Amino acid sequence: MNAEIRITAEPIDNQRCKFVLNVPVLEGGVRRFAGAEEAKGSPLAEAIFAIPALGATELIVSGNIVTVVKQNPTPWQAVGKAVGAAIRSAVASGVPAVAASPKSPDAVDDDALYEQVAKVFDEQVNPMVARHGGRVELIDVQDAVVMLRMGGGCQGCGMADVTLRQGIEGMLAQLVPAVRGIVDITDHTTGANPYFQASKK
Amino acid sequence: MLLLPTTTYRATAFVEAARQLGVELTVASEQPSTFDRANPAGLIVLDLKNPDHAAAEAIAFARKQPIAAVAGVDDDTAIVAATIAERLGLKGIPPHAARAARDKHQQRELLAKAGVPIPRFTLRRLAEDPAAIAQTLTYPCVLKPLNLSASRGVIRADNAKGFVAAHSRLQAIVCEPDASFLIEEFIPGYEVALEGLVVNRRLHVLAIFDKPDPLDGPFFEETIYVTPSTVPAALQGAIKDCADRAVRALGITEGPVHAELRYNERGPCLIELAARPIGGRCSAVLRFGDKKISLEEVILRHALGMPMPSLQRESLAAGVMMIPIPGAGRLREIRGVAEAKAVPLVEDVQITAHPGEQLVPFPEGSRYPGFIFARGEAPGVVESALRQAHARLQFVLDPA
Repeated sequence: MNAEIRITAEPIDNQRCKFVLNVPVLEGGVRRFAGAEEAKGSPLAEAIFAIPALGATELIVSGNIVTVVKQNPTPWQAVGKAVGAAIRSAVASGVPAVAASPKSPDAVDDDALYEQVAKVFDEQVNPMVARHGGRVELIDVQDAVVMLRMGGGCQGCGMADVTLRQGIEGMLAQLVPAVRGIVDITDHTTGANPYFQASKK
Repeated sequence: MLLLPTTTYRATAFVEAARQLGVELTVASEQPSTFDRANPAGLIVLDLKNPDHAAAEAIAFARKQPIAAVAGVDDDTAIVAATIAERLGLKGIPPHAARAARDKHQQRELLAKAGVPIPRFTLRRLAEDPAAIAQTLTYPCVLKPLNLSASRGVIRADNAKGFVAAHSRLQAIVCEPDASFLIEEFIPGYEVALEGLVVNRRLHVLAIFDKPDPLDGPFFEETIYVTPSTVPAALQGAIKDCADRAVRALGITEGPVHAELRYNERGPCLIELAARPIGGRCSAVLRFGDKKISLEEVILRHALGMPMPSLQRESLAAGVMMIPIPGAGRLREIRGVAEAKAVPLVEDVQITAHPGEQLVPFPEGSRYPGFIFARGEAPGVVESALRQAHARLQFVLDPA
């Protein structure tokens, strides 16, 4: 089974890297881990938080994408293969790599936040990005962190980060101040119709 | 205020650098963002094609929202940033220096006057009879449009017949019948790129990149950049000195510069100097100081007058390959990306072309389909990793 699992690493910056698999890791949802303590019971997350040279601080699993956040300055080049091996081993083991999200006292807050953020997305964010043929999908809210995916003209757009940071993040800060952060889990390399196409130096 | 044209590759790197620094950011582009009404202090439209208009708009904006620094990211926005900075009394280069860096002919005239070694050049008009011009030239020579970037439209001619053909091709690219263009002496030799930051008129060299693939024409598509340079130290000193003289000759007093130089038995020769940082996504190979901060963070810190950590590049060798345009046609798919990423020392393979995109080879085109990044103990192994990764990529094109 190992040979069938293909993983590509897509560093976002020196802190964040997406590992994209050719098979699903967690179907039908998103799971975020804010530390090793939360990883207990999820073999994939346990393995990644246990990599000593990595210094992982956060892990987000959604569909076939595993996003790892680390504080250690070690380049992804040096630690990426260990992460890939941990993911491959966990997925190939035959047991669920990621356990269902436990209900914590904060879960209600996340649910409430989800509703508020979804309303902002429906009523404000999506009508705005629709002007450029884009759409933004709310994937989940965990520990007050919003996970979203961009589509249409936003996917692969050269200005997607500007939309994310100067637009969506600012709007959420104003309208849903309890939101602690945003994670974009879009695979921007597969965007087939980006609104703005980078082309020059 | 960050001047980000919607066609730039640099948005993510600069926006992330601003976030790292925790600065309040206004992004100015030539087209409206979808959120411009929701965040009028953070997203504005400026006429980036007209520096005077843009400066007037920026001044009006600054009355409501004070601006602490302004930074451009490419050749055109460097002029706009300089104009805004001058009018608002912010740190920046004089607008005339930014314009001189942008206009290849004006740049060469200033460099020649200052005695900076550059290729012999002449300015001609595309409307002139190419056959008549061809009789007056020494070969090989290089035809260059005045205001295009990334070697677009740059063509070498080895004889009169080749010149006439190149002239015809350039006419079609420039699309302005009465436009002027440069004809330069072709300088044989090894090419390097120098990345620098000018602080109070003093050039700090951030990196010298080797370009191991020969750039002998007929077109000048960039491929691999690797740093540190393997050029002997004394010659690197001469390269730095040449770039320093060019920076002074153009009057660049502050900010990032990117220079292309060649050297041969006659010493270094400056080919181009730009008042902007390295283009495309290539800056990702540069990291500075203990915290490995990005080039964009260095630029923003400098513009804002924030404390500057060490400008010493990390000890590892690093390189980037601008993936060569594989041919003319509509991109159907790219195979082998995972295999390319699996090559030891390769950090990332970023595909920037999208499925369905029309790929246009040089000299008419200039948009690379992606970038490969590698880091390792020595420049040689980094270069080798980049070539191995590229060899694993397969571009599937439908005919144009």
